[in-house]
Amino acid sequence: MSASPNRKTKKLSLGTLLARLVLVLAGFSALVPVLWTFLNSFKNRVDIVSAVPKFFFSPTLENYIYVLSREAVAQGLLNSVVVVGAAVIAGAVLGLPAAYALARYPLRWANDIQFFVLSMRFLPPVAVAIPLMVIWLQLELYDTRFALIVTYTLLTLSTVIWLAIPAFKAVPKEVEEAGRVDGYGPYAIFFKVALPIAARSLIGAIAFGFVLVWNEFLIALMLTTSDAKTLPIVASELSQLGRDVPWGILNASVILLSLPPLLMVGVLSGFLNAAFKRKRDAA
Amino acid sequence: MTLREKKKKTATATRLPLVFIGPGLLVLAVLALVPTLFAIGISLQDRELGQADTAWVWLSNYVQLFSDRRFLNSVRVSLVWEVLTVSATMGLAVLLGVLMFQCTTARWRNVLSMLFIVPVLLPRVSAAFVWKFAFHPLFGLLTWPYKAVTGEPLDLLASPVTALLTVAFVDVWQWGLFFAVIVLKLLETLPPQPFEAARMDHAKTWEVYAYVALPMLKAPLVSLCFVKMVESLRAFDLIYVMTRGGPGISTETLDMYAFSQGFIESGRISYASGMAVLMMIASTVAFTYIWKWTRPK
Repeated sequence: MSASPNRKTKKLSLGTLLARLVLVLAGFSALVPVLWTFLNSFKNRVDIVSAVPKFFFSPTLENYIYVLSREAVAQGLLNSVVVVGAAVIAGAVLGLPAAYALARYPLRWANDIQFFVLSMRFLPPVAVAIPLMVIWLQLELYDTRFALIVTYTLLTLSTVIWLAIPAFKAVPKEVEEAGRVDGYGPYAIFFKVALPIAARSLIGAIAFGFVLVWNEFLIALMLTTSDAKTLPIVASELSQLGRDVPWGILNASVILLSLPPLLMVGVLSGFLNAAFKRKRDAA
Repeated sequence: MTLREKKKKTATATRLPLVFIGPGLLVLAVLALVPTLFAIGISLQDRELGQADTAWVWLSNYVQLFSDRRFLNSVRVSLVWEVLTVSATMGLAVLLGVLMFQCTTARWRNVLSMLFIVPVLLPRVSAAFVWKFAFHPLFGLLTWPYKAVTGEPLDLLASPVTALLTVAFVDVWQWGLFFAVIVLKLLETLPPQPFEAARMDHAKTWEVYAYVALPMLKAPLVSLCFVKMVESLRAFDLIYVMTRGGPGISTETLDMYAFSQGFIESGRISYASGMAVLMMIASTVAFTYIWKWTRPK
């Protein structure tokens, strides 16, 4: 915080007060809609469908019980865990070594490879999903977890490589040199030196990959119809139950769906802090 | 170290990049190139879902697209969406980032940073539902004051004028707050001397940022803008949940139209594929160009 310009804390000016008001409002805007959804997930239908927003009501667990007891939700949760878990592991196993080699070894094609990895993000998801659907149909793997895992590996792998390169670059060269002096070969240096030292940042990179595929919607929508549906798809379909929108149930499922990525908030803000601390130290 | 040992060491050292990069790159290449080639192939046929026989129709899908008014509309909506969300996100991020840097203590910065990361972590589907409910004309939290004052329900998602703006608002809510944290962290990496020098010259606070701090951050801010441009391509989830392209076709972006041509309405998978190929070409060309152009070389 060395560059903080408000060290000369004199009396609070009107401008500062105004600025803080704006910030507090923005902070509220980030949280209130989510809290409101959380509150609504404990309401009976009558309390939600009221002309005046109700802040006080007798809470009920009915919505959660309904959601969690539905077979579709249990199936979706299982699918999400398996698909996302496998894709994240595949992305990490293939991506971390690649990122290390790109960060540490002077390669003629390093820049082009990095750009190729980044350009995976340029592909509009719909443009990937349509041909893949035809491909999986022809291979008779459509609507399977396997198909979704392979497709999601494209997302996790490119994200992990892209974010792990700077993390490996931040490992001090001298430490690796010391490992070499101790008789470690190049592979041992990766596993025993670089990987443990960069671990914190790498976990952040992998967490980003996790959030990306856990939240993914369009590809899952197009590549599954019943067996392999993931949780976001199941949640979005809850709004189409019957004629009335079951708002309480919907709110409960939104909260359940959002919990895993929100649990990552600490890991990810730690990752951001570390990334920018490196930048600050380098400057 | 003997010569033989040295030789052995360089030999293994040069093989590591291949062993480490090879598999990952191969997987990426297969997963990216095969669908791309397939998409091009399909777009030259007349394939429909649930029909076995297909014929090659070559460019006929593309010719049709350019006289399809709904397609042209979706191109326009996508461009509006792109410009709107990117500029609003960057504007909001710079504003909030500077305010946090200028007017808060370290503790508040941490609290606000935590809060501002929450929206972007929400699944798009969740964010869409959360705000769809907040904007609900009858029992939404945000539309309630309007209803209480005027007695009329306010249905922002039902009017062609406000629907796209409302969905864009959710996108900016997710990304603008997150980028504000990044802008703050970028400002924190700056050395303090230029700030002091500018104050010595009696520069006003806003002048310090407009002429000193932000220009120093030009390169990372351009990268940030680039990231947002790429991410704005993924409008589908929000639009699918909030409006399904409606009212009418006023919020129908390219990916929404391709999806409804391919899946909801007609199952014309080749026609949808043609759109996908055009999107792929446009975005790859545009982003490659912007990337090379903004990188200092």
